[in-house]
Amino acid sequence: MNEEALLVRAAEERERIFQRYERGRENLVGQIDPWEDPEFEDYHKTDRYGFIHDERLPQKTAPQKVNVEVEREKKWVKMLASWGSPTTKEKLHRRIYKGIPNSLRIKIWCKLLDVNRTKMENPGKYHEMLRLAKQWSTDVRQIDSDVNRQFREHQFYRERYSEKQCSLFNVLCAYSIYNSEVGYCQGMSGLAGVLLMYMDEEDAFWALATLLSDKKYAMHGLYIEGFPKLTRFLQHHDKILTKFMPKLKYHFDKYGLDAILYSLKWYFVCFVERVPFSLCLRVWDIYLLDGERVITAMAYTILKLHKKAIMKLNDMDLIVNYIQVKLHKDFGYDDDVVIYNLERSMEELKRAKLDYPGPPPPNELPKRELGAFVEPDKKSKIGQRAENFSDAEKQARATVILRREKAALDLQELRVSQSDTVSEHSGVAGVRCEDSASVLGSRRSLADTSVTSTADLSVFSSGRSHVPDNSLDTHSNMSDDGTGSDGSGVCGLSIQRAPSTTLSTPRATPHPPSVSPMSEDVVRIHVTYNPIAGSPSHLHPVTPTKFNKCYTEEQHKPTSLGFYTSNGSANMPTDNRIRIQVASEELLTPVVDSGRIITPRYVESHGFYDFK
Amino acid sequence: MATNRTGSQRANGAPQTKVCQFKLVLLGESAVGKSSLVLRFVKGQFHEYQESTIGAAFLTQTLCLDDTTVKFEIWDTAGQERYHSLAPMYYRGAQAAIVVYDITNQDTFGRAKNWVKELQRQASPSIVIALAGNKSDLAAKRMVEFDEAQAYADENGLLFMETSAKTAMNVNDIFLAIANKLPRNETGGAAGAGGARRLADGEQPRSSACCNRAPPRAASDTRSGAGDASGRGVRGLRSSLRKAGFTRALVVSQAV
Repeated sequence: MNEEALLVRAAEERERIFQRYERGRENLVGQIDPWEDPEFEDYHKTDRYGFIHDERLPQKTAPQKVNVEVEREKKWVKMLASWGSPTTKEKLHRRIYKGIPNSLRIKIWCKLLDVNRTKMENPGKYHEMLRLAKQWSTDVRQIDSDVNRQFREHQFYRERYSEKQCSLFNVLCAYSIYNSEVGYCQGMSGLAGVLLMYMDEEDAFWALATLLSDKKYAMHGLYIEGFPKLTRFLQHHDKILTKFMPKLKYHFDKYGLDAILYSLKWYFVCFVERVPFSLCLRVWDIYLLDGERVITAMAYTILKLHKKAIMKLNDMDLIVNYIQVKLHKDFGYDDDVVIYNLERSMEELKRAKLDYPGPPPPNELPKRELGAFVEPDKKSKIGQRAENFSDAEKQARATVILRREKAALDLQELRVSQSDTVSEHSGVAGVRCEDSASVLGSRRSLADTSVTSTADLSVFSSGRSHVPDNSLDTHSNMSDDGTGSDGSGVCGLSIQRAPSTTLSTPRATPHPPSVSPMSEDVVRIHVTYNPIAGSPSHLHPVTPTKFNKCYTEEQHKPTSLGFYTSNGSANMPTDNRIRIQVASEELLTPVVDSGRIITPRYVESHGFYDFK
Repeated sequence: MATNRTGSQRANGAPQTKVCQFKLVLLGESAVGKSSLVLRFVKGQFHEYQESTIGAAFLTQTLCLDDTTVKFEIWDTAGQERYHSLAPMYYRGAQAAIVVYDITNQDTFGRAKNWVKELQRQASPSIVIALAGNKSDLAAKRMVEFDEAQAYADENGLLFMETSAKTAMNVNDIFLAIANKLPRNETGGAAGAGGARRLADGEQPRSSACCNRAPPRAASDTRSGAGDASGRGVRGLRSSLRKAGFTRALVVSQAV
């Protein structure tokens, strides 16, 4: 087909699609393909938000909750009457975090997004955009195909060409003209779809426009070519993980799971279809109030709340399924609990100055004037794809590839560690929560106080050890079987009450008398004694910071394994660290867990791991 | 990267099953049924209103072929052009690809050809590519002739089938055909597909075929550890200690 014919065909297709939405369901009787139209008969399965479920709903909302909501409604109605007043501003934050009553969401959301003002400032704009879209939009086919599959289990959208489906189509088409840099990007149908559950067509359009271009939300940068805001926020997300949940980050890296895979919808559609809808609305309430910081904090909160469960999953498939599917069906925590934790996370991140990755750089902001019509070029009219990547796309491509490379490299560096030992064999690494972050923030202090020098390294002579040779297997197998269900916090290598105190064995370090050898914080490594093994005296006391400098090739290089710790005995650095020395990379050693985050680093040519 | 392991080294004498792991990517225009094909293959389900894939989705499915267990790691990508820039991240290192088009839409077939071209240019040279003409249940609305697609596939050395995620026609078959075409002998998998992956300028070769993937549990304890970081668990430690002269070792740790 020549170009002219292709242009004509594209125009005809657009016209045809538009016509069907204009005529609507009532006027398309007999013209809707059966496959396009589901049959939902059971209205009693519709929940309070309008979603239709496969099975009868478990239970109606508890009467107490209904009462609370009725009481809240009264307060909110009062507050709405004096929206601009200082008392409202004062109360708004607390009340929104408690949840906007569903019946008033429509009003409050419009207020938060200042929909009325934007609409008044742009009279007739929406209809102008819609008219232009009908003539010019190049995204009609994609929008049509996405409207046909967005929220089809919701009563508003279940019927093909229903009123709301038509509204959704119109809003997206109009927006594709209004913001020609974004046009339409998959994901936006989810945003507009939620807005339309509460607003009429034109209000939803302006709400969508605000979400994309207002600097508080700045979603424009998410949807444009190359997704610059996405990569920037993912980078920040990685930073947060590295700081607060390094074990989890390691776990993800180990299974090759990039955040882009599990968190894309968190950023693009603010958790729609990733958490239960009731919770999603609560997050939206807060997002509309506080802006993009909320997404960052919620991403962190989700992982924080589910870290234990995720750490038990030893397959990318299982992890992704858990985060994307399981949490959507059942989040496992009451909405109020999640919001409470979200608020704590926001404070926590703020303290660490990690609540916000900074204002958007120029490439994330609209360059063209919004609402100014630009005629699409021939290629996009025909629907032909660009032959080559644009610069923004090349950059996106390079960034995502780099992310994976970096994760792989980080992983190689970190590979050799107890995390491996424990999680590979027991699947419960991290149950012990070495990560400083925790659900209610209390673990952190606990971990801090428990970072004691109680690591107890005992060296036994082989004859005295009564541990059978296959004990390791036994233990790891035992924990394999026992940890899947209870999550009791016992680490994979089971607790062994070794007879250390009764045997007169060479002790690497006597543990401080104030701490019972069997106290919770004690970590033991029992190694049968070998006379040729390096003893602590072979080792040069080094502090970690000077480590690289003072441990050089010229110095004595140990030929075998030796352990030493450093809690104050002679010739030891006094930094309460445990160091394990091995002769070569092949001699891999366990990481000694002293109750804090352990990040082993292998130093090439020295055969030495440092744990900090 | 291909990861082939055999159970022959197993100390406990478990049955000797070879486990092969392959990365497979689905590409194609939006709404041709990529996610539906995967859903049918992995879960045996079909949804008329499969939600649109944003970014990419990941699923796995395991097939048993003779003496081999083949585990597919399936990357299902978004079809919209905007997401195209993310696609290389998914097809990088893939041993197999299914390029999907919709038989009722000629444009999607043209788009499929472009994907094939891109794969031939950018992906691993030994990648196995299959072309799937989906929605064959809608043959009444057919716009792409079977023979036309078959001829194109033959020219380009592609596997080709018409499939229907809705009726399940040829869905398992196309995955099986791919599994059969992939090298499954111990050296073949690693060297043929993954090992032969071209390295871009400045790219660091990975030290091991499975360095960014954990092996399945059954296989994880079969390696002695040399060169395979993920095989280094407690057993690796024990053998390390043995080498160092320790005859017995026990690691004891207690929860905090």
